[in-house]
Amino acid sequence: MAGRRAEILALARLDAHEVLRSHWPVVVGLLYTALAALLTFAALRESTVLGFTGTGRVLLAFAHGLLLLLPLLALSATGQTLNRAREEGALELLFGHPVSPGGYYAAVTLVRFGLLLAPLALILLALPAITWATLGDPVPWGYLGRTLAVGAALLWTFTGIGMALSAHVANQARAAIFGLLVWAGAVALVDFALIAVMLQWRLHAGTAFFLAALNPVQCARLALISGQDPELAAFGPVGFFLAQRLGARGLLVLGLVWPLVAGTLAWLVGRARFRRGDLV
Amino acid sequence: MRIEVRALSRRFGKVVALADIALALPAGCRIGLVGPNGSGKSTLLRVLMGLLEHEGEVRVGGLDPRRQRLELARRLAYVPQIAPALAATVAELARVVETLRGLDVAGLAAYAEALGLHWTAIADVSLRALSGGMRQKLLVALALAARAELLVLDEPTASLDVATRETFFRMFDELPATTTSILCSHRLDEMRHLVDHVVCLEEGRVRFDGPAEAYLATRALSVIEVRLAAGADSAWLDELGFTAGHAGWWRRTVDRTEKLALLPRLAAAGDCRLADFNVRDLESIVVEDPREAR
Repeated sequence: MAGRRAEILALARLDAHEVLRSHWPVVVGLLYTALAALLTFAALRESTVLGFTGTGRVLLAFAHGLLLLLPLLALSATGQTLNRAREEGALELLFGHPVSPGGYYAAVTLVRFGLLLAPLALILLALPAITWATLGDPVPWGYLGRTLAVGAALLWTFTGIGMALSAHVANQARAAIFGLLVWAGAVALVDFALIAVMLQWRLHAGTAFFLAALNPVQCARLALISGQDPELAAFGPVGFFLAQRLGARGLLVLGLVWPLVAGTLAWLVGRARFRRGDLV
Repeated sequence: MRIEVRALSRRFGKVVALADIALALPAGCRIGLVGPNGSGKSTLLRVLMGLLEHEGEVRVGGLDPRRQRLELARRLAYVPQIAPALAATVAELARVVETLRGLDVAGLAAYAEALGLHWTAIADVSLRALSGGMRQKLLVALALAARAELLVLDEPTASLDVATRETFFRMFDELPATTTSILCSHRLDEMRHLVDHVVCLEEGRVRFDGPAEAYLATRALSVIEVRLAAGADSAWLDELGFTAGHAGWWRRTVDRTEKLALLPRLAAAGDCRLADFNVRDLESIVVEDPREAR
């Protein structure tokens, strides 16, 4: 009989067919490409007036765009995974065989995370290559690596949250709405919005900073900015406060570790729910 | 695999799907699970396979289906009522099942061929591209090739053509005597030939649990249809309880005793007063004993 790894790989192959059939990776790749193309074009236009400001600046702008895009894509790719499979009868077929719920959960997570990350890695390699080829600008390998690592951590956060959503919410439409609410909350509660909330509710500054640090999108944002533009104007007040205390390296660690931890916690909660509840 | 159920209940919100079910079915038994739509048949099957949470005690082959689901799944094979339209190819699904339960793909291909699927032609075709009947054949082949101790079949022939159904019946007959099977079906011809025990559910409760013969003798109804010869008098048909239909056809629904009493009388009249007659099973099996209803 199948070992754990063989079971996960077999189920992952099966799920990969579903994902590829939906052309979802193509959509993801096109969105990344469109964002990169837009920012490169903007940078090239700017360069005619001010002189080209560098691949690093294009990458920073791209990274900011990714902060909005990655959570939404990850939630869309995962938030309806289990409930859709249940409604379509795929779970009933598979669990008639010796398939463990944990193995299935791991397999579909692996596929969705991989198919979100692979196009991101490709575009992050292509973007500097294009600016290097057209403008001769040196490739900022360090910042490239930082963006990929932080982007992967952020993708993992929302992959974990999306999988937990799909395990908890039986109805696909409701899962999609919850996913949108999670996304809106995460991108709204970065720095300036958080300051507004703080002022409105007269929150203690420490509480507001703690809340900011809890938001994986904020953590990822600070980790990305600290590698390129560690100034108040770019950070925002909460980010600047955290940067003063943690330093650039601390922000990078926070931006990598906390999203990974948050995603893993959410993933484990979803896995526990899926294993404990009705399978079909 | 012996199946034992005590005080089994399951609710979906306010809806009671199963209420205080008690069953004790011996190993090697061929069970027909019947009942109207929404009676709890599929829920019971899913509970027995460990797919649903429940209250009460359930043991299948001595295993707790929820706590020992993987061990149980290795010993059972299941054909769901609706074959999902997966994007994976037939070969890919076969490879997955081969990995999961050590299934011999060559053996699976042989079963598939016997059921009318041309394995080499469909191996690289997505399940989504197959017709419902072809997917059903594939799932039946997968289940039979598993050589499981317990076979759970939820309306397995609903999408099959007549020839394939006959092949399936033959394959089912050839299963080892030790194989326990649960056949959920509305088709009387399947019930009559394939099962030796019937469990009938209604509104989540057991209405009948006993030998198939006893169940079918009273609840399996037939329809007798006769067509009068041109110019023949119809009064005698009226006296026999037939009602007039379209195009000269008369019909009467009968149980087995009535059928056996009526057929000789109709046969005797066949040469002069009847142009044609048919006897066919009523599509669905009635839950209630008609004699009790009267």
